[in-house]
Order: sequence, then structure tokens, then C-alpha cells
Amino acid sequence: MTTPSAPALRPGWLRVLRTNAEIAPKTTLGFMRFDFILGMVFILPFLQMVFFAYVAGLAGNPQASVAYVVLGNAVATVTYASIFSVAQTTDSEKQQGTMEFLLVSPSQRGALYLGRGVVPVLLSLATLGAALSYAVFVFHVPITWGAVLPAIISVALTAGAMVGFGLLLGGVALYLRTSIILGNIFLFCGLLLSGVNFPVSYLPFPLQVAGELFPLTWGVAAVRAAVDGAGISTLAFYWGMTALEGVVSYVLAMGLWHVFEERARSTGSIVRF
Amino acid sequence: MSAPVLRPSFGRTMFASLRLSLHMFLADPQWVIPSTIAPVMFALAAFEIYRGSGPLLILYAVLGAGMMSMWGQTIYGSGWAIWQDREFGTLEPTLGSPSSYLGVIGGRVIWNALSGLLGGAIVVLVVGVAYGQPLPFQAPIVFGLLFAFVILSLAAVGLVLASIFVYTRYAGFIQNVGEFAFYIGTGAMFPVILLPFWVTPFSLVFPPTWVIDALRYASIPGYHGFAWGFTGDIVGAVVTTALYVGIAASVFRRVERHVLEVGNLDEY
Repeated sequence: MTTPSAPALRPGWLRVLRTNAEIAPKTTLGFMRFDFILGMVFILPFLQMVFFAYVAGLAGNPQASVAYVVLGNAVATVTYASIFSVAQTTDSEKQQGTMEFLLVSPSQRGALYLGRGVVPVLLSLATLGAALSYAVFVFHVPITWGAVLPAIISVALTAGAMVGFGLLLGGVALYLRTSIILGNIFLFCGLLLSGVNFPVSYLPFPLQVAGELFPLTWGVAAVRAAVDGAGISTLAFYWGMTALEGVVSYVLAMGLWHVFEERARSTGSIVRF
Repeated sequence: MSAPVLRPSFGRTMFASLRLSLHMFLADPQWVIPSTIAPVMFALAAFEIYRGSGPLLILYAVLGAGMMSMWGQTIYGSGWAIWQDREFGTLEPTLGSPSSYLGVIGGRVIWNALSGLLGGAIVVLVVGVAYGQPLPFQAPIVFGLLFAFVILSLAAVGLVLASIFVYTRYAGFIQNVGEFAFYIGTGAMFPVILLPFWVTPFSLVFPPTWVIDALRYASIPGYHGFAWGFTGDIVGAVVTTALYVGIAASVFRRVERHVLEVGNLDEY
């Protein structure tokens, strides 16, 4: 006689997404801390912009003027909220001992991982909003009313794409001892490879190509084009590239999580960090 | 009759702590990467911005990024050590042991200073390679000596901050936010005299401000920094560094005594 097995209880996709979006910031991201938000959204962007503004002011390089550097760094500050924090969720899961339970749960993986990106996207938008406000109102970067909507679209796409990239790094971190190194590498590579502080044409060709694989490069270009009042065809190209790299990052992130999850389950080595 | 308390000497405590820090680093050497990657990237970014403006500004990038590397290792190392103690649950037993806590922290700071010096040297090397020709230092030997003195002054600041970190759970916040503020305030990549006038008194509170200005006087021909010149910078650097070490020693003793008397370390 066979015993009928109980039906697997599988929560709905949207429910998993919503629950993870609510819970992850409070537990693994540490996003709900006042000091974290104050520092990341309001203070760090300003200080980074001031620092590079003085460097640019001393250099007097017309191709890397104060306005150019300030705008680039305003966009680059999104990496704190999008890459570093999101990638660190994997470390937190491992250290808190919740990774094993997560990997054996019946929840849909897509909803699980995408849910983590919801609050970081909002925080990235807040960071970019604050930084661009500093650029315009403190550093007097010129912007016309007509450029505001294209700038908002560019900012939204950049925030989404960068969080996707952060999730991708979080997937890689599943296999590593820590994501901090990866986070640091990509956090600061953006300052060099993405046209944040000087035109990418200054770089050797291989580094220019490497920079183009990074969503921040296209995000910075899109925001610059929007502020400069570029035509819709130029903007559409930059938006398309930013969105494309964002989608590719999300797809690769899901794939990586799947591969490393299977590997972790088959070898039982997930807690080895 | 109670047994006499065995209290290891300050030097022995410091050496043991230094040795432990070295072993922990060898077990997990990844920490040299964050403290090196960021300054190298900053240095290369500043190098590209300064490149078209003459060789002397390249030295600003080298000196600044070298200092940033050392600062990163010193301050992150100090803050991280306290955080790690809290996470591992070793902060209370360490403070409760008869060994001097200042000695424990001192050993860690010395290790961080040494590894920071290595990071600074790596930054100089990377920018030198990117520059493609010998860096135009005016007096390389004086530069080397002052470069080593920068790490001493940074270690002094790290000691004072570490004593504050015992009382707070916001060490990470102070490190992250304080990093850029420190780079700006001490004029890591540009002379402090470019900042608004009211910033100068705050900048002079930090020993590295004096040492970096002295470094520029020694390395950059025709440099115009603080009006008191190279000698004044050296005197200021020595005095402020000594003050920091004195303050750190005093604060650590008070912190140690206070948390032992009140027994409320867990509250922080």
C-alpha cells in the first residue's frame, strides 16, 4: 500500500517577491538603520563630489571640468546602494545561518532574488536624486527644465540596471568566502572605467571595452546626454544600452544562483565560507 | 590571602597582539585588497585628471593616494578590530583580562600601519608604472622618511578613533562617512589652502595635514602650502602626533576603567 504524499506547499510568486522585499532590508541588508541611510543617501555622495570637484578644480583640465566630474560622481554614488549592499546580502545569509534554509525552501527563486532588489532600487533612486540635487543646487551644474524628464528616465534605468549588477555579484559571492572584495573592485572600478571623472577615450582600448560591459558607463553617459539636452535618438541609444545591460545582469544573476545552488546542494559545501 | 594578579608587561601584550594580527592576516589576507584597490583607483582617476596639467600635479595624485591607502588600512583596521571583537564576543574578556587594552589595540594598530605602508608603496608603484617615466620627486630620501612618518601620524589618529569605537556601534558609519571627510579636510589630493578659510583650523587638528604639507614641500619644487613652510610643518606634525598618542593613552585607560566599573559594555 502506498501512502499518498502531502502536496507541496508552494507560496505564490508575488507573495514571495513581496515578503522578500519587506524582510530582506530588515535582516540581511541592514537598510533600515538610520545611520546607513543618512550616510549612504545624503552624506557620502556630497563628500565624494566635493573631493573630486577640488581635484578637478586644481587640475584645470577642460575635458574634466568641475561640472563634468561632479555630474559623473553624482551618478557613480549609486554604486554604494546598488552594488555593495546588494552583493553583501549573500554574506549576511551565510553568516546568519539562513542560507541553508533558503536553498531548501520551495519558494520560487526568481521572486526570491528579485525581491531583494526592490528596496535597493528605491534607495539607489534616492541616492541619485540627492546627488543630482547637490550637482544642480550646490555645484551649479546647468540643467534646463526640458532635460529633467530625460534625466529622471536615465536615473531610473541606471538604478535598476546597477541593482541587477549587484544581484549578479551576489550570485558570484555564493561561491566565495565574501563579497566584500568583489564589491570593492566594482565600486571603485566605476570611478576609473565608466567616464565618471574623465572621458573614457583617455583609457587604453581594452579598458574602454571593459568599461562598456559595466552598466554604470551607460548610465553615466545617459545622464550626461540628458543634462546636455541631447536628441532623442542619442538618449534612446544610451537608455537601450543601460536597459540591455540591466536585463543581462538579472538573467545572469538568476543563472548563477541556479548553478551555485545546485552545486552547493550536491556537495553540501554551502556553509564553507 | 589572594594570589597576586599576573599582569603581562605592556610590551609583551603589544607584541602578542601584533603577532595575532599578523596570523589573522595570513589566514585571511583579503583585507589588503580593499585598502589597496580604492586608493589605486583614486590615484589612477586623479592621475588621468591631472595628467594634462604637468608633472608636478602627478605628485599630488601619488602623495594623496599613498596617504589614502595608509589611512584606509589604519582606520578600517582599528574600527574593524573593535567590531570583530564585538562579533566574536571577545571584547568583554579582552577588556576584563589583566593585560592592557591599549597594548592590545597598539599591537593591532602597528600591524595595520605596517600593512598600510605596503599599500602606500603599491599605490606609488602603480601610478609610477602608469606614468611611464620616473616620478619627479625632488628629494626621494626625505620623501621616503616623511612617507613613513605619515603612517605614524595616521596610527595616532587611528588609536584615538579606536578608543571612541569602544563606546559606539556606529564605527562603520564613522569610517565610511569620515573617510572622504578626512581626505578633504587633510588635503590629501589638493592643498588645504584651497578649502574655505574656516576649514583650516579643523584641518590642523589632524597630524596628517601637517605631514602631507611637509611632504609636498619636500617633493614638489615651487610648492606653496602653509605660510610657516617645511620646518613649521614638521614641528606641527610632531607636536600633534605626540598629543594624539597622549590623548589615546589617557582615553583608553579611562574607557577601560569605566566599562569595568560600570559593567555596561554590552549597551554600546
